[in-house]
Amino acid sequence: MPQQTELPGYVLITGASSGIGREMAISLSAHYRLILNGRDAERLQATQAACRSPERQLCWVRDLADVGTLSETLPPFLEQNGATVTGFVHCAAMLDVLPLRSITIGHAQDVMNTNALAAMEITRLLMRKNVNHKALKSIVFISSIASQFGAKGFTAYCASKAALDGLMKALAVELGPEVRVNSVLPGGVRTPMTQAMFDDPVTAERLTKDYPLGVGLPSDITSAVAFLMSEQARWITGHQMVVDGGRSANISA
Amino acid sequence: MDAAFNPLQLHGRHFLVTGASSGIGRSTALLLYRLGARLSVVDRDEQGLASLCAELSPELREADPLVPHIADLSDTAAIEGLVARCVAANGLLHGVVHCAGIQAIAPVRTLKIDGWRKILAVNTEAALMLGKSMSSKKVYAGENGSIVFISSVMGMVGSVGAVAYSMSKAALDGMARSLSLELAPRRIRVNCVAPGYVRTPLFEQTETLWDDATKKAVEDLHPLGFGQPEDVANAVAFLAADTGRWITGSVLVVDGGYLAR
Repeated sequence: MPQQTELPGYVLITGASSGIGREMAISLSAHYRLILNGRDAERLQATQAACRSPERQLCWVRDLADVGTLSETLPPFLEQNGATVTGFVHCAAMLDVLPLRSITIGHAQDVMNTNALAAMEITRLLMRKNVNHKALKSIVFISSIASQFGAKGFTAYCASKAALDGLMKALAVELGPEVRVNSVLPGGVRTPMTQAMFDDPVTAERLTKDYPLGVGLPSDITSAVAFLMSEQARWITGHQMVVDGGRSANISA
Repeated sequence: MDAAFNPLQLHGRHFLVTGASSGIGRSTALLLYRLGARLSVVDRDEQGLASLCAELSPELREADPLVPHIADLSDTAAIEGLVARCVAANGLLHGVVHCAGIQAIAPVRTLKIDGWRKILAVNTEAALMLGKSMSSKKVYAGENGSIVFISSVMGMVGSVGAVAYSMSKAALDGMARSLSLELAPRRIRVNCVAPGYVRTPLFEQTETLWDDATKKAVEDLHPLGFGQPEDVANAVAFLAADTGRWITGSVLVVDGGYLAR
């Protein structure tokens, strides 16, 4: 078994095939070697191709809704590639705006699995000494201001993001001081996941009104994550960092 | 991305930093200057400000003056005039970082009105007056505006003996939220940074009241231990620079995990 110091350190980014995760990957590839995770192999490879030094990045194709089998796939993937993970950014998320009456338990479980439980399970695996050799230093979960506030049609999503932030705090307390754990809470950012909301003219107009600084860019979120992963944030853990153009401060919204 | 490019850079921007003679304010002034900003530094401690200027003098850039102003911010009526002098000396402002603050640990039964009003004046009212000054076209440079108030975790949790201090910081957070909405149309962002226990002169005042067992107990409440002023300065820089361009009305907690427990 190679010694931990000989293995290259990677940042694992889930949800890297589109939206914030894709932007995150392209941006962080300037500073880190990456393991890109997504469900869609083709789109994941397209993200890889857009990264700095694509050949140095790894692709791990996996649907995180299938939480129960992650322990059978992630450890072998790391071993086969001789990789250790020093940072973990969970950008994968499912959002389906549905009235409560249309939600099935199966769907709600998929949302909870992808958005929250996969983050817990991946963290658990990365903390196993014989899997990741104590390499993990920093975790950032992409949560949402929806973890703090409700909205029509968002029951499963809000529940899952609140769960994710609760998980973040518990992990920060349990895994500190060796590992820092934080969440970034974006407001409305235009991505493929949120496209339907922005395409609806009524919703789009309300979004413009509600956001003191207007709607956000994926790069606003990647800046916050890059900061939290850096040495400059060495004393920040257990924090829900709101990056939302002032939306959650706005009572008129 | 160019390897030499620093996303926290502040070239061409003028910041006012209060409480710059020591602790978090001093660390913030040093960092913002080194990130390329020109500064107006304010404190009531003349010697402290002089030592800050001396520390930066080997790194001084002609294009970016560092201008000290002696002022006691408990005189809140004089703040608009102070800001006008800062602008006259160093140009229009892109932002303000209010690090000046006072603390006085005392049981509530010994609280005197003059004492807590002074805490409120420096910690909260001065911040409001600085924010108000920034809303003027004669003060604000018109773009990349960023106001940062140094708050405290004590604004969100309680502690024995900290009634007036907690009040001043909770009020500061609330004030910043509404101020952020008012100044958003002018593209001035307003945020608080809430530090936990950071090794500064203000903290050392509190520490003298603790025995070793208490010190250890408090430190153990922090998953990452006590902090350094640089930890807070880094968060201020993040909010001051373009990295924080979509962040306003928020409280950024820098506390080694204290509030997560």
